[in-house]
Amino acid sequence: MRIMCTGRLDPAITARAFKKGLDGLLIIGCYFGDCHYISGNYQAKAKLDVARRLYEYVGMNPERLAFRQCSSGEASVFVKIVTEFTEKIKELGPLGAGGDRLESPLLIKKLETAEAVLAGEKIRWVIGKRAPFLKTGNMYGEVFTEHEFRRAADMIIVEETEVQEILAGLRDGARSVKDLAASFSMPVEKVFRHILALKRKGFVVPERIVGRSPLYTLAPKEV
Amino acid sequence: MPADKSDDIRIGVFICHCGSNIAGYLDMEALGTYAETLPNVAFVQRNLYTCSEGGINEIKKAIGQQNLNRVVVASCTPRTHEPLFRSSCGEAGLNPYLFEMVNIRDQCSWVHMQEKEEGTNKAKDLIRMGVAKAALLEPQKPIMSPVFPRALVIGGGISGMTAALALANRGYEVVIVEREGRLGGMLLDLNRLGPSMTDALQLAESTVKAVSCHPKITVFTGSRVTGVEGFIGKYSADIETPTGGKKIDLGVVIIATGARVFVPAGLYGYDAERVITQLEFEPRLKQGIDPSIKSVVMIQCVGARNEERPYCSRICCQTAVKNALLIKEKDPDTKVTILYRDMQMYGVENEEMFRESKAKGIRYVNYNPDRPPQVQAGSVLVYNALLGKDMELPAHMVVLSTPLLSREDSDEVGKLIRVPVDANGFFLEGHVKLKPLDFATDGVFLCGSARFPANIREAIAQGLGAASRASIPLSKGSVVVEPIISVLADMDACRGCGLCVALCPYGALEIQKTDKGRKVKVIDVACKGCGVCAATCYQHALTINSFTDNQIDAQIEAFLG
Repeated sequence: MRIMCTGRLDPAITARAFKKGLDGLLIIGCYFGDCHYISGNYQAKAKLDVARRLYEYVGMNPERLAFRQCSSGEASVFVKIVTEFTEKIKELGPLGAGGDRLESPLLIKKLETAEAVLAGEKIRWVIGKRAPFLKTGNMYGEVFTEHEFRRAADMIIVEETEVQEILAGLRDGARSVKDLAASFSMPVEKVFRHILALKRKGFVVPERIVGRSPLYTLAPKEV
Repeated sequence: MPADKSDDIRIGVFICHCGSNIAGYLDMEALGTYAETLPNVAFVQRNLYTCSEGGINEIKKAIGQQNLNRVVVASCTPRTHEPLFRSSCGEAGLNPYLFEMVNIRDQCSWVHMQEKEEGTNKAKDLIRMGVAKAALLEPQKPIMSPVFPRALVIGGGISGMTAALALANRGYEVVIVEREGRLGGMLLDLNRLGPSMTDALQLAESTVKAVSCHPKITVFTGSRVTGVEGFIGKYSADIETPTGGKKIDLGVVIIATGARVFVPAGLYGYDAERVITQLEFEPRLKQGIDPSIKSVVMIQCVGARNEERPYCSRICCQTAVKNALLIKEKDPDTKVTILYRDMQMYGVENEEMFRESKAKGIRYVNYNPDRPPQVQAGSVLVYNALLGKDMELPAHMVVLSTPLLSREDSDEVGKLIRVPVDANGFFLEGHVKLKPLDFATDGVFLCGSARFPANIREAIAQGLGAASRASIPLSKGSVVVEPIISVLADMDACRGCGLCVALCPYGALEIQKTDKGRKVKVIDVACKGCGVCAATCYQHALTINSFTDNQIDAQIEAFLG
């Protein structure tokens, strides 16, 4: 498939592709410094690195998503890249059938969460700000090391996945914090913290109180 | 008149045999029959050569007769043929952007020459994906923008001056910004220029005079460009001059910042006295070498073609031979030996100069970089592989041929103008063959050693070439830009957060205040359509024409069947 630049590749597209049953996705772009769009390949690498960490976290083998580089004049390199990737995917087998930490129906469900995470605001700010964070620092002038950045990104992956799972859990109707915590085997305090944050941002609202627990539901979309 | 867009999508699929390039390895009949079964496909035709006049006419005829509103050609590479097919659709009254190309040759029939069935299946997948995308294509309008009739030339060396003169003589205003206190660049340090042995100073003086006197050229020496904003036709540059800051409007930019010479500190006993570089040797040749110097050894590839600098600077060999000949011209009895790894003497005249040098008794000794020559007091020791032993060559003077390096600030200048540099810091042209003097960014051109080490003659030729390229938008007065660019598809969703603005490699996005609050605005002519913004926007407000999320998703879905 042709895209103008690997920078065009929206990481949420990769999640949708896997969700629909793709077994492997290979993205080939120019070498760093040779990008016809100046910095598109750096952007792609940053996006796909985070996507791979997320896939690993939600139970898919991250090897199924690869970012490789070669120039248009390097036929043999291209062949090597494609052959190696094909062999790798053959080895892993179809998605969710042994080659991944989770098995299929559950994995697909997790990939839905991954898609929501990758399409979301938080992760995209982190990816977008990767270069300035590593070079010039954040708005407080704190410069991160690669290691610190990865740790921060990992933390956001975990948090965002939990948040998206909670939101998905509320799609079918109001539920209590305890109930949510039980179904995702998450500590109650953690779910409570997420719910409070979501409430503050206007994503969820308390609907009614059953016994001593309030039931939360998705806030009606603004028109 | 066929409709550009309607609910009833009618796709025409044209499958090219490419003589036997495709038809020789894939089952064409199966492809044709298969294409007919795909959704929205109203017409399928196979052609011997779709790109031939006959093939093009068939497309045009079918658009009219079959009332097609989308066209898919399954053939070769879009790099060479997409413009042709697009314009053919346009001639038949169909919006050119309702066309999709599928490459079933380069990465399909040519690769699977021994696997007819698998190759055919892959071609079916590719056609199915192309058809799925075509159904979602939207018509686009080319974008027009005016060009301000002034050029900025960064760098006042021979290449930049030549480009400036060529443009000014065509009647365009030119501004030259030179970092040093005077025009001329590296040419001022040279003695005579090979192979014609022209006097460098004469050339420098006459060119500087022509530039300085030209009513259309403004020169800022001792100045720097500190900011460039805008896009082709509508740039605005900030220039820091000794008399204060200036802001000028311009239409095009030429980068002619040149290069610098590698100083071989710590190599071969370099002391800038007895062991010097070719560049330091030039003024000495001009003044006349000390008559007591009766033997000179030159060492090639000093600090070049190694791990740190893997490239060949390509002009040092001819410089060495030229300077060796000049030594012989002054005193035929002086012994000159050139220690080389490989001689890079390209071109008829250089080859002739090389032959002449041998006839005049200049000696050439090959050396192995694993056993480099050793400079001693009064001589140079070199291992000769043919003799299998060390040779000791008398050397009253040693001249080191060092490579040209990119400017220290080339990366900075590149970022300023949003053009790339390569691994060695030299500016990277748009395409090595098709756009050797252009950048991928429209309206920016390059010439001289800023791209790669060039001799004076090449620097002049490139300067003329860059001026010629730059005069195209200047003389047209307006530019037409491909509409495959970013668009704010969902104005309401945009929050004006500015993340896309920060990431855009071309400065093609800006936040502006509207009555609906802060919103992003795409500067159409500056956008190149890389898609970084669309892949970043978490509100999914931005997209790329002809590469929308929907279209990409549809292709993937079609692939999965």
